[in-house]
Amino acid sequence: MGTEYTPIFVFLILAIGVGSSMIILSASWLLNPKKTTRVKQMPYESGMDPIGDARQRFDVRFYLVAIVFLLFDVELLFLYPWAVGQWSLDVAVAPTGAYLAGIPALFRDLVFWEIFVFILILAGAFAYAWRKGVFEWR
Amino acid sequence: MLVLIGIVIKMLVVVGVTQGAVAYLILVERKVAAYAQDRIGPNRCGPFALIQPLADGAKMLLKEDVIPGYVNKPLYLLAPLIAIVTATIGFAVVPFGPVGVSAPGVSLPFGMGDYKVDFQIAPAIDIGIVYVFAVGSLAVYAVILAGWASNNKYSFIGGLRSSAQLISYEIPLGLSILPTVLLAGSLDLNAIINYQDALGESLPFGLGSLGFLGWGVFTCPIGFLIFLTSAFAETNRLPFDLPESEQELIGGFHTEYSAMKFGMFFLGEYLHVITVSFLTVVLFFGGWDLPGLSQEQVGWIPALLKTGVLVGKVALMIVFMMWIRWTLPRFRYDQLMDLAWKALIPLALVNLVAMMVFLQATRS
Repeated sequence: MGTEYTPIFVFLILAIGVGSSMIILSASWLLNPKKTTRVKQMPYESGMDPIGDARQRFDVRFYLVAIVFLLFDVELLFLYPWAVGQWSLDVAVAPTGAYLAGIPALFRDLVFWEIFVFILILAGAFAYAWRKGVFEWR
Repeated sequence: MLVLIGIVIKMLVVVGVTQGAVAYLILVERKVAAYAQDRIGPNRCGPFALIQPLADGAKMLLKEDVIPGYVNKPLYLLAPLIAIVTATIGFAVVPFGPVGVSAPGVSLPFGMGDYKVDFQIAPAIDIGIVYVFAVGSLAVYAVILAGWASNNKYSFIGGLRSSAQLISYEIPLGLSILPTVLLAGSLDLNAIINYQDALGESLPFGLGSLGFLGWGVFTCPIGFLIFLTSAFAETNRLPFDLPESEQELIGGFHTEYSAMKFGMFFLGEYLHVITVSFLTVVLFFGGWDLPGLSQEQVGWIPALLKTGVLVGKVALMIVFMMWIRWTLPRFRYDQLMDLAWKALIPLALVNLVAMMVFLQATRS
């Protein structure tokens, strides 16, 4: 009977069905009028005739922010498994149900300091990007 | 097979209820806006304008659907689809009532045994929050595709701004929940609710009898503030609705969209608001937890009570978001990026380090 992820895939199919049925409804000739004129087909530019193309150069800072985001997002994904595992064996003692996985008490200090250094390096990289003016938007 | 039928029924109920809720949330939003500005608001369609959502929906379908000639058509059609699909499936792991041991059961006829009704579409997914964030961040594609495919300068600028805003605020959003995850030792939203419930009842000095002091908002208040701010930005609500700041960018990335396609962006945005409100309540307000309710109670009456409490808290949260909309002015773009990168991310990192040092000192 599949895995625990099966409902998500079924839900995905349902959501795509709902979404595409809305697109098809909006495109149907039965419901709404379709009167295309030349002016209606122009890109909207506050009533003026459009000047030039929309595919123009844009500010490099959007690119910089995207790159910094990629770095941080990957490091964040590295922190999630640690955050779950670090003390989850302790929590299992409390009446919250049993967790099977976790970092054993023997290695806890080691892992803690490793993550501490990891966050320090992350903060260093963040400070470098800040110094370099990645976050200046004026 | 039986399990699958149960899941499909749950899905249909969830999709129906959330989309109906969106229709009425738009009415509530308009009413709140009207009262905030000392107007009356919609009052023509039926008593208290209760049929207004139907009229709105009919209008969406009956208006002319203009597709301008200069658009990149496949991507132009794909963008609203992505917006609505990502907003819908994000709800799959969000619990809207008791799940697991305290879920009520139904005994089926014809000797088919018992069926446990978990109030969640996909229970037993361990990575709960990560899934919600992962699916939520896919919404960036809808925005950037809509902005690019429209071939319109307003759309293009709006799409760029919006995608930069969404990816910037995703980092503080992700960092702000780490202290909660550290405390609960799980990413599963039910485990986090159960942890808050158990913690609230096990506090010393008679504080346990209050029952609600284990909520995330009390154990990590700074994380809560960061999460709330980032959640506003992620859902494009005012004070962070830069992508569609009407006065400068007309409609932002959906300038060229009309009729039902515009409605789909709208629907996606409100579905996102609902999901984020559920997340806030589950992570920081104890989910279904109230003094007197605990995970040991089994059966239909406590289950329905808990669902009612959870949905009530979510409703309060949504009204709070609408209230904020008419209280704060919009940020300027450089202020918006400064807030994310220069204030929220350092604060979230400090918050995380403080929580891990505290736990290291007390737990091991």
